[in-house]
Amino acid sequence: MTGLAADRRTFLKGLGVLGAAALVPGCATSTPSGSGASAATGELALQSSLSSEQTKAALAKMIDAYNKTGGKVKVNTVAVEIYRTQLPTYLASANPPDVYTWYAGSVANSYAKKDLLLDVSSVWDTMKNYPQAMQNLSTSDSGQKIFVPTNYYWWGVYYRKSNFAKWGVKPPTTWAEFLQVCETIQSKGIPPIGIGTGGTPWVASAWFDYLNIRINGAPFHRRLLAGEERFDDPKVKAVFSKWQEVLPYFDPKGKSIPFQEATSVLLAGRSGMFLIGAFVADSAPKDAADDIDFFQFPIIDPEVPVAEEAPIDGYFASKRAKDPEAVKKFLTWVATAEAQELYVRNSTGTVIPANPDGKSADTPLVRKGKAMVESAKELTQFFNRDSSDALQPTADAALIKFMDKPDQVDQILKDWQAAAGKVFKA
Amino acid sequence: MTQRLKTSGYHLAMGLVSFLWIAPILWVVVISFRSFDDVAANGLGSLPHSFTFSTYKSAWQDADEFRALINSLVVTIPAVVLSLGFASMAAYGLARYNVPFRRTVLLLMLMGNLLPPQILLIPISRFVELTGYFDTLIALIAVHVGFGLGFYTFVLHGFMRDLPREIQEAATIDGAGPGKIYASVILPLTRPALAALGALSFTWIFNDLLWSITVIRSGEKMPVTPALLGLQGQFVSSWNVIAAGTVIAAVPTLAVFLRFQKHFVSGLAIGAVK
Repeated sequence: MTGLAADRRTFLKGLGVLGAAALVPGCATSTPSGSGASAATGELALQSSLSSEQTKAALAKMIDAYNKTGGKVKVNTVAVEIYRTQLPTYLASANPPDVYTWYAGSVANSYAKKDLLLDVSSVWDTMKNYPQAMQNLSTSDSGQKIFVPTNYYWWGVYYRKSNFAKWGVKPPTTWAEFLQVCETIQSKGIPPIGIGTGGTPWVASAWFDYLNIRINGAPFHRRLLAGEERFDDPKVKAVFSKWQEVLPYFDPKGKSIPFQEATSVLLAGRSGMFLIGAFVADSAPKDAADDIDFFQFPIIDPEVPVAEEAPIDGYFASKRAKDPEAVKKFLTWVATAEAQELYVRNSTGTVIPANPDGKSADTPLVRKGKAMVESAKELTQFFNRDSSDALQPTADAALIKFMDKPDQVDQILKDWQAAAGKVFKA
Repeated sequence: MTQRLKTSGYHLAMGLVSFLWIAPILWVVVISFRSFDDVAANGLGSLPHSFTFSTYKSAWQDADEFRALINSLVVTIPAVVLSLGFASMAAYGLARYNVPFRRTVLLLMLMGNLLPPQILLIPISRFVELTGYFDTLIALIAVHVGFGLGFYTFVLHGFMRDLPREIQEAATIDGAGPGKIYASVILPLTRPALAALGALSFTWIFNDLLWSITVIRSGEKMPVTPALLGLQGQFVSSWNVIAAGTVIAAVPTLAVFLRFQKHFVSGLAIGAVK
């Protein structure tokens, strides 16, 4: 610790040098470049979460087509998991992108409540043919249209046709038949119900959603997820009692694998059935793709109007978009059957255009999925889309714990209500 | 006899430990050569049933990995040079001169390092936006320089403090001012420490994900780590392509490590002996 003594003047001089050095990088780049860059060029900045290879290419083709009609849209793709966490920042930033890909329903509504989204009611004037359910999901609490749906997919219980034939079982339609099928498959030494909650715990919510909308109906489900009903309600407990009936048929290995691995397990015939979204067919190897089929989640109470899970994707726009008219023009175009067909044709094989006039991929699987969703009395989306990304972890914790320790259901529901209460109050 | 037993036991155990260490990396390399259909049908954990180079090609093209790597290097190299440059100047002043409050300054720098950087996420993203540097690589460089400075100064201070005082006195007698002493005497003597820190900071900055997704919004400005994340779809992910992209992204840090390996190992002992 014996340095040479520096007199005050040398010290101050040194400080000055340091200060100048710190300024240098600042001077070299004294023109801060804005990120949106749209103000000057009249370009629309489209922030896209469609980062996987196929969806990215499909969006690029769609935007090319729009730009040929005289529009000017520039896409910026961000990995979906980054996008999910950064979206609030994008919307609230000083220079927000104009248009965003994201989800309909309460997710969009939560941003509308913060007054971040552009009112696109005039776009909806051109969308009279869209079903009522989509209209509702695109409307904010204050009655403005804030979202333009472009495509959706569906959920179902997936299986391999060849395996079902081998085991001598037929797709069930009622709960009793479903239990029977589980029993038969188990007797062949195969875990009947595959699941993958290791790292992807949210897939367990599909079971909760479906059991709840089959037993208590979609309106109750929506109220529950909006915080207007309680998770420790006896009606919710009934859902878990029903779940307990099939719990012994779940693949015990499902806890330790992510759902992508569970898909491989199903394809390899090491599990019988898998409640999952239509995207499962996209990750199948080509030789197995034709062998994959699904059935509607079995009906439990015939009195309850049939509801299906159909997550809807589309676009919303920033309230502070630089050119709201250009945004509306673009959104009007993406709502057309033509634009959506263009996207769907080039994207993964399992998305369906939101515009009822749009043609989907003509495969038996997609035809069946589309028919199922269209015949449903009610539509829900998925747990996080019907509530919020903040409520999803409370469901994950409760459902995973339930699958481990089904006998503690009362305590689990009490904890869930406590955790959810905090989210709703926040 | 017991000696031989001991030796072979040691080698066996250490071999096992090294295998455990290297197994995940090997696994990624193996996956990167498998085809999508193979991974989808047999799962990630199974032995390979296929062999393909096409994953590397699609990682290179789809993730635009070339541009991402360039971005990474454009950020990493200036950030390393600037932070080490500033840190060595600061350490020189603090270690070799009786600067008032030098202990306080040093402790403040150390304190900053003990705070988890995550708590600064929101202040930084707001600040960067207010100053108009949001979504620029310059912002990212500045963040890395700022965060590195404290730790590098601390380490270099420990190293410079132990350099013999006589050298500096001799230089002073020969008429060298503080700047000259820094550039011609202290800096050359600090080379081993600088090389070790350089290799370390290169790895840290190159591998950073958190700050790049906080300060950068445009896809074409993203460094390689978020670009790799971009290969992951919402539901369908080509793990083989991601693995291939990861292998490619590991090359620069590996090259730097191999180049500075000698300093790296000796550098780990920096400041250990006071």
